Amino acid sequence: MNSMVIEVLTPRYAMAWYPWAVQYFFMIAISYSALMLTVPGLLLGKQRFLPLAKIALLVSVSCTLVGPVALLADLHQPLRFWHFYTNITPWSWMSIGSLLLPLYLMLVVAYAWLAWRPAMQEQAQGEGWMARLSGWIALGQWHAPRWLLVLAGLGALVFSFGIMLYTGAEVAVLQSRPLWHTEWLPVMFVITGLIAAAGLVLLLNRLMTGNDEDVNRQGLTVIFVGMILAAVVAALWLAEGITGYSPSVQQAFASIKNSPQWTAAAVWGLLAGIALALSAAVVLKKQVWLGGAWLVGLLALHVGWTFRWMVLMEVQTVAKNTAGYYQYALEAGSYGFMGIIGTFGLWLAVLLIIDILVPWKKGMQVRAH
Amino acid sequence: MDTMRRALLGQMTKLTVGAALVPLSSIASAGINDQPPRREGDPAKRYQPPRREGDPAKRYAMLIDLRACIGCQACTVSCHIENEVPLGSFRTIVSQYEVEHEDSGDIATFMLPRLCNHCDSPPCVPVCPVQATFQREDGIVVVDNDVCVGCGYCVQACPYDARFINEHTQTADKCTFCAHRLDVGLLPACVESCVGGARIIGDIRDPNSQISQMIDEHSKELMVLKPEQGTSPHVFYLGMDDRFISRPDAKPALWDVRDPQGEEMGYEFHGH
Repeated sequence: MNSMVIEVLTPRYAMAWYPWAVQYFFMIAISYSALMLTVPGLLLGKQRFLPLAKIALLVSVSCTLVGPVALLADLHQPLRFWHFYTNITPWSWMSIGSLLLPLYLMLVVAYAWLAWRPAMQEQAQGEGWMARLSGWIALGQWHAPRWLLVLAGLGALVFSFGIMLYTGAEVAVLQSRPLWHTEWLPVMFVITGLIAAAGLVLLLNRLMTGNDEDVNRQGLTVIFVGMILAAVVAALWLAEGITGYSPSVQQAFASIKNSPQWTAAAVWGLLAGIALALSAAVVLKKQVWLGGAWLVGLLALHVGWTFRWMVLMEVQTVAKNTAGYYQYALEAGSYGFMGIIGTFGLWLAVLLIIDILVPWKKGMQVRAH
Repeated sequence: MDTMRRALLGQMTKLTVGAALVPLSSIASAGINDQPPRREGDPAKRYQPPRREGDPAKRYAMLIDLRACIGCQACTVSCHIENEVPLGSFRTIVSQYEVEHEDSGDIATFMLPRLCNHCDSPPCVPVCPVQATFQREDGIVVVDNDVCVGCGYCVQACPYDARFINEHTQTADKCTFCAHRLDVGLLPACVESCVGGARIIGDIRDPNSQISQMIDEHSKELMVLKPEQGTSPHVFYLGMDDRFISRPDAKPALWDVRDPQGEEMGYEFHGH
């Protein structure tokens, strides 16, 4: 059996999922994670967490609105999206997701609408086009009881668990790709989503509100705890592969063995993870550095996004059936770079439109450094 | 070369090939007994939606006699012409390997025609969110590309890279065993054009078909690709080397042909 094999002729298989998928998974994970961050302040009424909740709500709504656009763009036949609703397929996670997603979106929007409505109604009392528009958006001056907000929030939370489950399971059920086929993948999507959402909250806290101290502390705590959990999950996954407890994880290791690119990616992931956990811990400890929490937030966003890029794009370059790896070069057009930039641009536009129309910061007492 | 790993892998494939032959033999005998093979006893617990269309009395399968394959790619070309497959995508292709004995330096070539395995437990079918892809009663896995939304989920789910997104139709595409030809009594294009007669297609429920007789004759030597995936493939290989059953431990040659600027030189499907 001592032989050297050279693969002389084999096709190169194209990517079936584009960077749009990364954008969707990133946006929707931030969406449900930020929604969780609104719970203590908005649903449980904890005053200390109210500033965090206000920023997190803005993050959640903006990402909830933009994520599905990226998802639609990842279909090769986007205009056929209605086929999902005329051919309901309960045994396919993607079909289940197509039912959950619009309901989740509507509940998040309803939740935010109810949370922002009192401020909108107040704005509607003024003069000019902004006041008129606020009046229309608020749908009148009637009083919405608090239980309605709680109901919408709880409903959105329930559906967010569905989104977590389906986005994770959709990928993890695919036995054909051992790097995906692990029960830890959905867990890791949620944890890194939480880390990225906290990161985005920290960034917006710096850019839009005046760098509230409590928000920084709370966001950093979420990132730190998230990183510890991520490390535990990564260790469990590694252990499953090393001990052979999971043949699939073992195959996953074999599939990227001796690949310099994957080794580099693993080293980078490890370094970025350690850097993120340490910097979150250090900034939390050193009161004077707390104002720089947004820098930790940027690193958290990097970790959350890159994890999805590695999982969704780079794993597709591991040949399933043939030797070696496919070279994936990011295209400049809408299937590649423009898609990534475009999604972020759309998100920024949504964020700014909300910021212009909605007095979402109202009542926020910023305790700056 | 990592001989320990080789030996281990060799052992593993033998074990798993044995497992793969269980459903195969049951199908072959089911054909003789005229009992339709059903999924109850399948190794994979994967849910499968009901089959539809096609002749329920038949179960098409292919046997590829690798001893007769010379790697001429006539099948690849005729499939492209018959099915108007875009350049650079393949419903079938013959993978070619150069095998060098490390001690003696002797060189041999190994040809491996690849196509959709029309699995009995196809992982691509249940994932489809709109039921555009389905398995016919005669076992052929097809795509209704008027329904397909092009989500690419089935492409990801196939362990054999047998599916792709057709750049012209922007929907999932794959080998259909040339169902349109079989339905009118013709052979698939690849079978028709194979110069060595290496590809044998037929109904394994008909005990008198050539494929049933060859399965009976060679049942101990037949192998399928990636049996560990529990897909129960229905493309059977005769004269197979177990090093090629799963992703081969080989050096990819052509992808590395790049100029010093990193631009591809020898592999030019892109942009056609």
